[in-house]
Amino acid sequence: MQRKLFRLIFIYFVVSCSISIGWAQSDGSLERVRQRGKLVWGADEEGGGPYVYPQTDNPSNLVGFEVDIAAQLAKKLGVQSQFTQGQWDKLPDLLNRGDIDIVLNGYEWTENRKQRFGLSIPYYIYELQLLGKRGSTPNESWDAFLRSAQPQKPRVGVLGGSAADDFLRTRYAQQIDIVQFEGASEAMRAVELGIDGVNGNLQDLPVWTFYQSGFPGLEPVGPPVGRGYYIIMTRKEDAELLRALNQAILEMLHDGSMRSILEKYGLWNTTQAQRGLEVDSSGSFANGLFNAAETTNPVLASNSFEALRGWAVVRQRAGLLVQAAGVTVLLAVIAMPLAILAGMLLSIGRLFGWRWLQFLIRTYIEVIRGTPLVLQLYVIFFLLPELGLSIHAFWAGVLGLAMNYSAYEAEIYRAGIQAIPKGQWEAATALGMSPFLALQRVIMPQATRIVIPPVTNDFIALFKDTAVCSVITVVELSKEYSIHARSTGAIVELGIVTAVLYLLMSYPLSRLAGYLERHMSRETQS
Amino acid sequence: MSDSAMIELREIRKRFGSLQVLDGVTMSIASGQVSVLLGPSGSGKSTILRTINGLESFDSGEIRLGDVVLEGNPSKSREAALTAIRRRVGMVFQQFHLFPHRSVLENVIEGPIYVLGQDRALVTSRAVELLRRVGMLEKADSRPASLSGGQQQRVAIARALAMQPDVILFDEPTSALDPEMTAEVTSVMIDLAKSGQTMVVVTHDMSFARSVASQLFVLDRGTIVESGKPDDLFADPKHETTRKLLMNR
Repeated sequence: MQRKLFRLIFIYFVVSCSISIGWAQSDGSLERVRQRGKLVWGADEEGGGPYVYPQTDNPSNLVGFEVDIAAQLAKKLGVQSQFTQGQWDKLPDLLNRGDIDIVLNGYEWTENRKQRFGLSIPYYIYELQLLGKRGSTPNESWDAFLRSAQPQKPRVGVLGGSAADDFLRTRYAQQIDIVQFEGASEAMRAVELGIDGVNGNLQDLPVWTFYQSGFPGLEPVGPPVGRGYYIIMTRKEDAELLRALNQAILEMLHDGSMRSILEKYGLWNTTQAQRGLEVDSSGSFANGLFNAAETTNPVLASNSFEALRGWAVVRQRAGLLVQAAGVTVLLAVIAMPLAILAGMLLSIGRLFGWRWLQFLIRTYIEVIRGTPLVLQLYVIFFLLPELGLSIHAFWAGVLGLAMNYSAYEAEIYRAGIQAIPKGQWEAATALGMSPFLALQRVIMPQATRIVIPPVTNDFIALFKDTAVCSVITVVELSKEYSIHARSTGAIVELGIVTAVLYLLMSYPLSRLAGYLERHMSRETQS
Repeated sequence: MSDSAMIELREIRKRFGSLQVLDGVTMSIASGQVSVLLGPSGSGKSTILRTINGLESFDSGEIRLGDVVLEGNPSKSREAALTAIRRRVGMVFQQFHLFPHRSVLENVIEGPIYVLGQDRALVTSRAVELLRRVGMLEKADSRPASLSGGQQQRVAIARALAMQPDVILFDEPTSALDPEMTAEVTSVMIDLAKSGQTMVVVTHDMSFARSVASQLFVLDRGTIVESGKPDDLFADPKHETTRKLLMNR
């Protein structure tokens, strides 16, 4: 024990000396911060706890372990910390633009980022924790968990595009069905309620620790796996600032302030205690020299960010985009006819039904039109299981889209019906037709011809609205695009391909609409 | 009810807001004859015509068609009476109101097939005859939108005839037509009258009233102010309204 301790102290001295002696190049980055009196750090509040989030009983106040770390670091630099909000995946852009000095928001060390930015020594070593439903899945180990779902594959939720996502993709793609969520709490809630057959969630350990009390229905499956390093990012040229930050982190590790911050948020664990700290000549943390009491936990591969660019990416990923486009087409092509049929029935009920039916329909239309589709999808996907009805994500998407659009089609049909001259009703009535027969033989055929332009318009819009289904884990074209764009950085190239695919889906519809219109008017003009 | 009366209206009253649209109309429509309703605008002549087949409601009074009694108050019996009446009473409108999404022939066979449930082949051959009779057989497969007003109205007459009605109501059938088309339609109507079809016609066409009608009813402000044979009324109009109406021609 003493020998280990001695070894640690020795390493510390060596390292801290090399940092402070080192390359006395001055690029002015530290000076600028000192002169400003502020260390501007960027993070995304939406990420939530325990990172950076609004305080529960005082939402205008920002708390989180990164808030505290930023404050401490600034203090060590002799300045104040200043928070700047940015969308999580856009923080590097803000850094490059100069809006912020550092990115401090759960950004993992990756080889790729090391090429493009200055990366500090880790301020936190995180792991991934598999979560399962308490009491149902055998939760002693990963093996037991995998076995329990057989002969089917277990369905495990992850935050789309996160390290957990990659971890599963690289290691367990054959054995596990990966389900993508947009938010951490949604993934965890899905497991608790058994939504869509999801029986597990691979989550960042800090997040689990933080949210644990809110999800009593979950428990850890086996020990934590994987390992990654949260680091601070600086611009590549700000080497002086980076060195100062590394120094500050070291000091925090040794004067106990880092520990007390982490303990405050329940994040301190034995993993943090096993710290060896190595930097290379530029002052960046040189992952790979880590030793200390090594566990068998594999270091997370840095697959999460490989900047491929150019049309090579397109060739590589286009096939996947086309496949996802298939999901988009299916969603739209199934949902829209349902919406049109429902809309037609609703409009008839609204115009000709009993008083109470008219009232119900009007209410339905107002509520559905007046609330966002994304909200309606959430309700369907997360609420119905609570009432005992578990529905597959794809069908929840179809249902949500059909219901939402039916409200709009109902109003379109109503206008179409009311546009039919009263004389048509009178002629039909004079012939002895019942209202039902008149509707069927005379009114609706004419109304349908009238509503073709606005309905096709909506159909084309629906194709794009399928993108919203990604919030309930349906991977359609837009989601697939953002996954690959994020992981390869080829935002423009893949974006062009995606846009083209959408156009290819919408254009035939416009042509069909035009054909129908011409065909129908030819009928009335012989 | 007299033997030759096909339709009897008794004390029909209708109020619309503060306006008394029909103020106690009583009339008898003779079978096999042409009855013409005349009157200034707003006199209620179209309204009274439309109460017969229920396109207008009325507040009090009663309408009889054979043994079917139509009352003013909404009720199941009124609905049943209307259903019976509409099968026996046809109507031709000022604006024709042909079904634009169907061909000429389809317009004519629509009622007998879908309302009366008759056999399609039978109905079709009868429709062909009717179209021939009104001079529209050539256009059997055309759409109404490609026809002139006069042609459309003739098709409308054929459509009404296809139901083999006891009575046909005409609501200003030529008011929307120019003189040439008016003549086309009028000649069809004369032909119909000669064949013994019972017709009730609201019109401004005085020459028609004079030469074709067997009975004239003059309305003003919701009541019948004068009625009788055309020759009598034209020669010696007794009421102010009648005089104004007939003398200006």
